Amino acid sequence: MNTVLTRRSVLTYAAAASVLALCSGIRPASAQGSSADAFLKQFADELVGIVNGPNPAAQKKAALGPVIDSNVDVAKIARFCLGRFWATATPAQQAQYTTMFHQVLLNEISGHLGDYRGVSYTMTGDSMQGSQTLVGTMITRPNAPTADVKWVVDSSAGAPKIVDVIAEGTSMRLTQRSDYASYLSQHGNDISALLAALQRQLGNAG
Amino acid sequence: MRLHHPNPTLASKAFAVSALAVGALSLSACATRPPASDVEATQDFEQTNDPLEPTNRFFYKLDDTLDTYTLKPVAQGYVAVVPAPVRTSVHNVLANLSSPVLFADDVSQANPKHAGDTFMRFLINTTAGGAGLFDVAKDWGYPAHTTNFGVTLGLWGVPAGPYLYLPFLGPSSPRALLGRGADTVFDPFTWVPRGHGLLTLNWARYGLGVVDTRAAYLSDIDHVKAGALDPYATFRSLYRQNTQSQVEAARHPAPVTPPAGTEQPAH
Repeated sequence: MNTVLTRRSVLTYAAAASVLALCSGIRPASAQGSSADAFLKQFADELVGIVNGPNPAAQKKAALGPVIDSNVDVAKIARFCLGRFWATATPAQQAQYTTMFHQVLLNEISGHLGDYRGVSYTMTGDSMQGSQTLVGTMITRPNAPTADVKWVVDSSAGAPKIVDVIAEGTSMRLTQRSDYASYLSQHGNDISALLAALQRQLGNAG
Repeated sequence: MRLHHPNPTLASKAFAVSALAVGALSLSACATRPPASDVEATQDFEQTNDPLEPTNRFFYKLDDTLDTYTLKPVAQGYVAVVPAPVRTSVHNVLANLSSPVLFADDVSQANPKHAGDTFMRFLINTTAGGAGLFDVAKDWGYPAHTTNFGVTLGLWGVPAGPYLYLPFLGPSSPRALLGRGADTVFDPFTWVPRGHGLLTLNWARYGLGVVDTRAAYLSDIDHVKAGALDPYATFRSLYRQNTQSQVEAARHPAPVTPPAGTEQPAH
C-alpha cells in the first residue's frame, strides 16, 4: 500500500513538474543555469551602470563596494587564495587577512574599471562545472578588442554568489593564489610576512 | 668576424634563441624541491613546474629593468606621438604580413573556419585594405584571430614542459620555443634571398612588432605589477593559464553562431 502511494505520488509529481516546465518554457536541466544567468545579468547591469556613469573615480569606487559585497563571496575567495596556508594561520591572522583581502580586491576591481568608459556586454551562455555555473560574457570597450570573460557562480550556500572571474582563460583566484603562494615560499612560509606585504600594498594604494 | 654584418634572418634569430635557451638550461641553478613528506607543497611545486626558477627570475629581473628604462618609455612615446588610427594601421600591416604563418597554423590545427578567415582576410586586406593598412575584412565577416604553432603542438598532445623566462622574449616553454621555430620556418620572409631591402624590412617589422605589442599591454602590465606581491609568479601563472586556455579553445573550436536561446534580450 505504502509503495503504491509513494509511486503514485512520485508519478503525480513528475507529471506536474513536466506540465509546469512545458507551460513556463523552462527546461528543468538548465534551471540552475538560467537562474545564475539572471543573477549575473542583474550584477553586470549594476556594474556597467556605475562604470559608465559620469561620477569621478573615487565616487565610483564607493558605489562599487556595496555591489561587490552583495554579489561576490569575498570570504570564500580569500580562503581559496591562501590555499594550504589557511590551515596554518591563526584565527587572528585569518581574520586580519580576510579583512585586508577584501580591501585589496575592491582596489583591484575599481582600479581596473576606473579606466573603462562606454562598456557594454553580451551574455554568451552558461555551462555547469560541478556545483558551480560558468556564465559567459563578451565585454566590449571602445578602442579595445572584445574580451571573453566568464563568471563562476556558486549557489551551494543558497543565494548565488560570484566566486571567480575568468578573463581570456585566466582565473583571477588561481592567479592570486599562485602570487601569494610564491610570495610565501620566498619568505619562509611566514604568514605574518604576507600580511605585512598586503598592508604595504594597501598603504601604497592610498 | 661577422660583427659588422650581424646576420639578421629570422632563421638565425630562432637558432640564436634556441642556443640561448639551451645555454640557460645548462647554466642554471635549480629550484629546491620541497621534502616528499610535505604533500601539498610538493603538489604546488609540480604544478608550478618551474625547476629553473632562480635562472628564470634572474632574466625576469634583467628584462624588467631593461623594460622600465627602454621599451616601456619607447612604447609610451609611440602612443603619445603617433595618432591612434596610424597605430591601428601599423598593427594591421604587421598582422597582415604574418597571415601566411597564421594560415599554416590554422591548417595544422585542422580548423577550416579559421583557415578560411585567414585566407580571405589576407586576400581582402592586401587588396581592398591597401596593402594591409585597413582591416576591411573584419567588417565583411572575417574576424581576426591569433594562434601559433606552440598551440598546435599542445593540440597534438605535446606537454608544455617546464616554465622558461627568456631574455627579450619573456615567458615561454620548450613547447612554445619549438613552436616559434616552426613558425619561423613557415614564414615566407625567412626564405627570401637576403638583400638590403629585406634586411631593413625584417628589422623594421621586428622592431615595430615589439613596440606595437608592448604598447597594447601598457596598462595591463602596470596593473599586474601594481597588484601582485610577486610579479614574476603572477606573470608565470597568467602565461601558463592563458596558453592552456588557447590549447583548450583550439581543441573545442567555438561554434560559428551562438547557440539559439543565448542571445541577450533587446533592452
